[in-house]
Amino acid sequence: MIRRASLLAAAAAVWGVAAWFLWRTTVPSSLHLPHVDEHGFFTAAQLHAAASFSRVEDILFWGTTLLQIAALAAFARWGARWARESAAGPVGTGMLLGMLGFALVWVVQLPLEVVDLWWQRRHDLSKVGYTSFLFGDWFSLAGQFVFLCLALAIVMGLARRFRSTWWIWAAPPFIGLTLLFAFVSPYLVTTHPLHSARLRAIASRLEVQEGVGHVPIEVQDIHDVTSLPNSEATGLGPSRRVIIFDTMLDGRFTTGELKVVIGHELGHLARHHIWKDVGWYALFAFPGLFLIAQVTKLRGGLREPAAVPLALLALVVLDLFALPLQNAISRHMEAEADWRALVTTRDPKDAIALFRRFVPTTLDEPNPSTWDYVMLENHPTIVQRIAMAEAYATSAAQSP
Amino acid sequence: MHQDHPVKLVVTDDLRRSRPRVFFTLLLAIPHFVWLFLWTVLMVVVVILNWVVALATGRPAAALHRLTCSYIRYATHVNAYVDLVANPYPGFSGEEGKYPIDVRLPELTPQSRWKTFFRLFLAVPALVMASALGGGGITYTTSSSGRSRFAGASARGALAITCAVLGWFASMAQGHMPKGLRDASAYSLGYTAQVMAYLLLVTDRYPDADPTAMLDGVGRPPVHTVRLVGDADDLRFSRLTVFFRLLLTIPHFVWLVLWGIAVFVAAILNWFVTLFRGTPARSLHAFISRYVRYQLHVYAFLYLAANPFPGFDGAPGRYPLDLQLPEPARQNRWKTGFRIVLAVPALAVNGALGYGLAAAAFLTWFVALARGSAPWGLRNFSAYALRYQAQANAYLLLLTDAYPHASPLEGAESPQHEFAEAA
Ligand SMILES: [Zn+2]
Repeated sequence: MIRRASLLAAAAAVWGVAAWFLWRTTVPSSLHLPHVDEHGFFTAAQLHAAASFSRVEDILFWGTTLLQIAALAAFARWGARWARESAAGPVGTGMLLGMLGFALVWVVQLPLEVVDLWWQRRHDLSKVGYTSFLFGDWFSLAGQFVFLCLALAIVMGLARRFRSTWWIWAAPPFIGLTLLFAFVSPYLVTTHPLHSARLRAIASRLEVQEGVGHVPIEVQDIHDVTSLPNSEATGLGPSRRVIIFDTMLDGRFTTGELKVVIGHELGHLARHHIWKDVGWYALFAFPGLFLIAQVTKLRGGLREPAAVPLALLALVVLDLFALPLQNAISRHMEAEADWRALVTTRDPKDAIALFRRFVPTTLDEPNPSTWDYVMLENHPTIVQRIAMAEAYATSAAQSP
Repeated sequence: MHQDHPVKLVVTDDLRRSRPRVFFTLLLAIPHFVWLFLWTVLMVVVVILNWVVALATGRPAAALHRLTCSYIRYATHVNAYVDLVANPYPGFSGEEGKYPIDVRLPELTPQSRWKTFFRLFLAVPALVMASALGGGGITYTTSSSGRSRFAGASARGALAITCAVLGWFASMAQGHMPKGLRDASAYSLGYTAQVMAYLLLVTDRYPDADPTAMLDGVGRPPVHTVRLVGDADDLRFSRLTVFFRLLLTIPHFVWLVLWGIAVFVAAILNWFVTLFRGTPARSLHAFISRYVRYQLHVYAFLYLAANPFPGFDGAPGRYPLDLQLPEPARQNRWKTGFRIVLAVPALAVNGALGYGLAAAAFLTWFVALARGSAPWGLRNFSAYALRYQAQANAYLLLLTDAYPHASPLEGAESPQHEFAEAA
């Protein structure tokens, strides 16, 4: 008993120390964010458009989430009966049940997904047709099935081998897969190099300032799918790159604003945020798998296929509860990337212009409600981002 | 449970083929093509007339019924001639009992008006199957503004064409048609005749794709070393797994590919071993056997020939549709050395059967979703196609040197010899 408690305390301590290291940031702790009134930056029409768009998106988010949980709860209750449709062994039967659970969720969510598409198309944010959406959705479900089966093969195989301690053994393979995926994901999208010589020159200068070495800046053609502007820093080591959607390069954003975008993404890479993502995943994997292992004991443990429906429900519910935490971590890193962009570009004006431009182009609310902020925002709000740029401007003016 | 179909294929062919007649098959058939075309044009008018009569009186007109029966017989004779399913040159009148591949058609009986009214639409699934299997005559129809219009009098199915081409070479070489190819083509012709009889209002019984019923009376081939076993009456399907069948098979596709890479290497090794020793290596044989069995399980699941989700290990005795494979045995070195070349005809037949398999699965999907059970005939056709596929795989991957047998009939312990010539 005492041994167990001390083991737990030691694990918690390791977890805490690791989390503390991952949480460290270069944003000065003394930085004071001024109050920013969104009405000073956005017209009433812009604010109204963003608010009305987001209201429906919020309802759709909660609708799909609740439907998913309801479907999986029903499946956890009755799903095990489909085990009789399997001639496979326990692991294969578990895979069948897992896929059926996902398939049911897909069917149940589909109407709301179509409504969401309609809503996005209505606001010119999505360019996807309904037929290609259904096909694409179907294919993404197919992809999910592959990952789901791989995950179940790992988890159930280990649960059959190690009984109650399987979760300790299962975490490393999942962390390894996450690491692998983080490494290969840049190779999975088709991109082409940035054409603009001017932006390339700006990027090289920022690379030197950040000391990240050479990072290719790639463009992803996505304007057929969406009009949403976006960019990302992806990859690890040799696969590192910054990917900019071509929707950012269609003339809606100035060179100065794009400079801030590149600065932001290089900031992610300079501060090793992809590694930190994997690190946080690792920190959540152990307790998450532990909880799933405990919950599934109700159905004989995950070595039994009958426990798979319950495991899916547990996973989704845990994910929902972890979402605020994950968003907080993401916002923390995004704030640091914003800060890096300000430090390297020394251009808070362009940063503010960029953040302002996001409201009409993405219909994001500059200052969302608390619920929205906690559950959905994985970036600082636009008001917070503007505030940071203003804080930087103030501090830069004070220190010569 | 499985009643006899009123449209019955009668096979009295003895497999002998005259080489000159085989060589000039298509040229000699030209007068028949012309005549069949003219008759087909006439039949368009006849069937519309008959349709009106059948709707008005509840049964087709007797004279038109007789004319249609002759047409179906004649089309079958011509196709049998062209596809080398029978040897003699056919007559032009579609007379009954005069040709070695014949069709017995039912007497005139009252027919359901509903089934008559929607006949063209009801026939669509059977036409899909027929276009995959074979036969000529009226196989493709299109509907324009409510009237039926027959397009293409000689749209021919993949299976019959493949068997005809392969049979042509075999007949030229041997002077007789291989029984497997003949049986496969005869089955296609029988099915096509049933579809024509249904479409042309000879009967309102739906075509039945069951190969065993179709070739009732035809001698069964010898037992093959690669056999399909399972409970024939197990037709129950779970609607949920039917609905998501293709998606649920995806992990199996991934596993098939990964395992297939290893099997590819193993087969090459096994080829060398079998070539030098005369018998395959036991461990490689066992490894490849499992894969071939696994593949059968997966395709039986995908193509709705069996209900449950298969395991990933290809273990015997676990799946309702299972494969019996031979132990490693001595194989002919010549057949081993040239295995890939020798397998080409079998792969062609397998490819043609693949169309039928896909069509059968497509149709079964709807039926199984609606009824929770598979249609007997289509399921049995699928079992035939899957058996052939497994035999072809086993042959190609050196599990046996017994050539795949294209006959839709299962092998019998004491095969009835129709063709007694020493092979
Ligand atoms: Zn970012």
